Amino acid sequence: MPGKSPSVGAAPPPRRNRKARRGEARAGLLFALPWIVGMTLFVAIPLVLTFYIAQTKFQIVGAPKWVGLQNYEALWTDPAFWKSAQNTLLFAVISVPLKLVIALGLALLLNRATALSGFYRTVFYLPFLMPAVAGSVVFMLLLTPNAGPVNIALEAMGLNPPDWLLDPKAALWTLILLSLWPLGVETLVFLGGLQNIPKDVSEAADLDSPKRWHKLVWVTLPLITPMVLFNLVIGIIYSFQVFTQAIVIGGTTGTPAEATLMYMVVLYRAAFRYFNMGLAAAMATVLFVVVLILTLLIFQTARSWVHYEGGER
Amino acid sequence: MSGQRKPKIGTRFGMLAYHALMLAISAVFLLPFYWMTISAFKTNAEIFSDPVTWLPDPIRWENIASLLTRDDFPFVQQFVNSVFYAGSVAILVCLSCSLAAYSFGCLRWRGRNLVFALTVCALLMPTIVTFLPVYLAWSKLGLTGTYWPLITPFLFGDAFFIFMLRQFFMGVPRELLDAARLDGASEFRIWWQIVMPQVRTPLIIVGLFATVYTWNEFFLPLIYLQDRESFPLSVGLFTFQSQRAVEWSVSMMGAFLTALPMVALFLFTQRLFQRGLSSTGLK
Amino acid sequence: MSKTTFAAPRRISRRGFLAGSAALGTAMTLPAGAFAQQEGQLLLWLPGGSDLFCKIHTGLLEGFSTGAGLGTATTVCGLGQDTEFTQALIGAITAGNPPDISMLWDSPVSLGAQGAFMPLDDMMKDSKIPIDTWPAGLLSSCQFKGVTYGLPVTAGVYSMWYNQEMFEAKGLPSDRASFPKTWVEMRKLSKEFTVWDGDKLVSAGFMPNRVPETMAIWSALNGGMMFDEANLKYQIDSEQNVEMMNFFLEWLDEEYKGDFNLVDRSGNFLDGYPNPTTGMGPAFREGRQAGMQSGSWLLGDIFADPVPSFERWNLAANPVGPSGSASFSGTWPNWFVIPVGSKNPQAAFDYLSYLAIEGSVEWYQQIPDVPTNSQVQRKAPAGLVEKRGQEVADDITAFLGEQAAVVTPMWNSPVQSFYTDQIARAVEKIYTKASPVKDALGEAQAATQAELERVLAG
Repeated sequence: MPGKSPSVGAAPPPRRNRKARRGEARAGLLFALPWIVGMTLFVAIPLVLTFYIAQTKFQIVGAPKWVGLQNYEALWTDPAFWKSAQNTLLFAVISVPLKLVIALGLALLLNRATALSGFYRTVFYLPFLMPAVAGSVVFMLLLTPNAGPVNIALEAMGLNPPDWLLDPKAALWTLILLSLWPLGVETLVFLGGLQNIPKDVSEAADLDSPKRWHKLVWVTLPLITPMVLFNLVIGIIYSFQVFTQAIVIGGTTGTPAEATLMYMVVLYRAAFRYFNMGLAAAMATVLFVVVLILTLLIFQTARSWVHYEGGER
Repeated sequence: MSGQRKPKIGTRFGMLAYHALMLAISAVFLLPFYWMTISAFKTNAEIFSDPVTWLPDPIRWENIASLLTRDDFPFVQQFVNSVFYAGSVAILVCLSCSLAAYSFGCLRWRGRNLVFALTVCALLMPTIVTFLPVYLAWSKLGLTGTYWPLITPFLFGDAFFIFMLRQFFMGVPRELLDAARLDGASEFRIWWQIVMPQVRTPLIIVGLFATVYTWNEFFLPLIYLQDRESFPLSVGLFTFQSQRAVEWSVSMMGAFLTALPMVALFLFTQRLFQRGLSSTGLK
Repeated sequence: MSKTTFAAPRRISRRGFLAGSAALGTAMTLPAGAFAQQEGQLLLWLPGGSDLFCKIHTGLLEGFSTGAGLGTATTVCGLGQDTEFTQALIGAITAGNPPDISMLWDSPVSLGAQGAFMPLDDMMKDSKIPIDTWPAGLLSSCQFKGVTYGLPVTAGVYSMWYNQEMFEAKGLPSDRASFPKTWVEMRKLSKEFTVWDGDKLVSAGFMPNRVPETMAIWSALNGGMMFDEANLKYQIDSEQNVEMMNFFLEWLDEEYKGDFNLVDRSGNFLDGYPNPTTGMGPAFREGRQAGMQSGSWLLGDIFADPVPSFERWNLAANPVGPSGSASFSGTWPNWFVIPVGSKNPQAAFDYLSYLAIEGSVEWYQQIPDVPTNSQVQRKAPAGLVEKRGQEVADDITAFLGEQAAVVTPMWNSPVQSFYTDQIARAVEKIYTKASPVKDALGEAQAATQAELERVLAG
């Protein structure tokens, strides 16, 4: 829909008197006011407080006590911090691009009208509707080493399947594999993008180059780069925050042998199991800075590879 | 679906290969759902039987009754809680976010771009960064253990849904607003009587999205709520699973009945969902 | 009954919320203390447990309150578990609206040391339950720097469980006195029972310990300790502990192909309950494991569905390690605390002393958590009498009583959860051979000691 929308900024400003404009400005502020208040209360103030708590010793009960940078120093030497950061980074770096590639593939496959299109779309989208807890529980059942159907099937095929979630070497990869399941949102976002490609563009390309791959790389991909950007940013930020699957599967110690220990789990246990609010806040601050830098980096480089139709924004 | 092109595959064989591939992929995607569903209608021993049984035989309908009547997993109560939680968030989101989205999408005022940029920042900020102080404040107010901390923030809006709705509000023709202004309509009336009816479908979409997200929300209710009578299903299922992990058939029945309402909702509103999705990625 | 008391305070709050949301923002001014209980009436929180558990405690508190003229008491059951329960309690304490009494399933030391629970020493002095009526090792799980923050009213007591029928089938004596007295003997005996079929463990003798919570017991059995409370020093990587883990690791390699994963794929050889992730029944109850260490709570479940058990088992004292000199037992207590901010601390304490001496008798009869106060006249659990007869039940009860008197101090650190997680990590690393014994224990030692010092500082 927005592809067709007349851009507000581009419309020629109709002649209006200053009073009306002032009225509109006042209304604009007024309509946004609840949200501005909300942002102040639930984002801005807590953000500052988090920075503050990160520099205190605060055990929930009692008052916070200023300790300067001690919490950051403690993080620096904390193996759990590094282990979880490493796990989370690996998880994000592998799962997000993989997910995007698969979602794009599925979207390309879906981008044609057949009798079963609606069915396929529904199937790909369904996993998103499954609560993460329920999803993780079902996968634990499916992947049970000797009695689970997946391993029984694989063994019947003569393969030697791993212990999935029980083997320290395989557990993180299994977690990555599981994260690929709910990719309906990404797929449909890509599909929306593909279907918004103007007909004349794709038909012209058909005439120019008969090779499909050529068309995919030079015509289709550039046109959906905004969707790639959107999915990439959201995907990375969310995978840094992976929590539910990790805690359902690995508990607070990242069983087996810290293979599923994720950043958010370490933060959660620091705050609510060890009552070390200061350290948890320091971890939150580090996460904030990393996400900020990454986002800026992506948006910065995006200028060179994201193609916007209108050129604006 | 307007932009969809006709099938490029000319031959019947190509068509067959295409569907075979798609059905195979679908099977992989459906496997967990299928396994959950059949496990919900088996006994524990049948779930772990070797060889694998792909159909429950007999179908244990009594699992439904046994789930609904147990004291240590108040499913009905938790279901009601989930409906209450997801429903109130959806309604609040539609109201509060449409205010801000209207302001960002249709009105011009100084500072608008700055505030909108901050909104995007808020959207990208990990929840946990701002979570601890907010949690401590609620706990000082003595309101942990209630739905207050879970619902109140949506009274003010939510960055993601404001962002999403703004895209739709931008599609409302400016001429419409100017005409109404010339007629002397107040800004509030313009919003309520002229703009809101224009974006009815997007509002429903946002409401649906909010419902699904809230239905599946896990972290916040896990932390703010403490007893199983007040948990929503997402957390109830987790605590049941971790306390009574061995009763897989009950867990699976719980998971099945938790996912079912959202699947049904989706099937009925598929088109709206898809429109909502294709809008978020653009621009 | 339990259903109505279950969530009364919460339901009101949600109804309050519904009414409030009609008036939109105005309801934000809802007073924080609106849900506080009335003066004089007792409010008790329980972390979890079965319906029976809830009923017993509701009944005990009601009986006491009526008798003492305190009006209607309220018991809130099933408030989440583990971390969630602790959060709820902390939230209520910081908000100044805690229950009068709370049961805990995690040591009260860490929160007590931070000032969340009332010190009980003054009240204990002139009461029916003075300090000297509690086993010192057990009470230390509530004490920090000489201050008592809670009471271990009842406790699950750890000892060795063994299958007498399996022993006799091999022609071995099955009485308690003949049970192995040392780790070396136990390991030797274990081989008699261990049978592999390829990579599948058909039956087993005993297993090296891998439960983080009980590692302190095994350390004590080897003459060591995990935490030296007097000097506030952890000793996780002490000589005795390194020797202990090496002993276990060699045992694992020699008898169990060096791989707990293989063991776990063959059945649940870890404890007496069905395995939560694989659904496999407990090997001990299936008659495939000669013996294991377990808490006394298994008394209540061993004959229960879904895994029917064999008939004749017995309990024995934990054997002694190569460097150890005496047998110790360990516990997982049910702790009771009076949170700071309790409206009726004296009445709450009176209830605790009633519970410790009289109430726990009834509790033990229905759910076998062993009463720990020395003045208690224990009566054998009804279920056990029914299954095994009065004589065996009395013998088991007496034995558990003896064991409760020789518990080694555990649960006594202000950083208990941190320590437990560190031990869990070290044990996993050692058994999966991700790291040598010395390194794994050394890392746990360094991290836990640092955390302890951080918490204690200032």
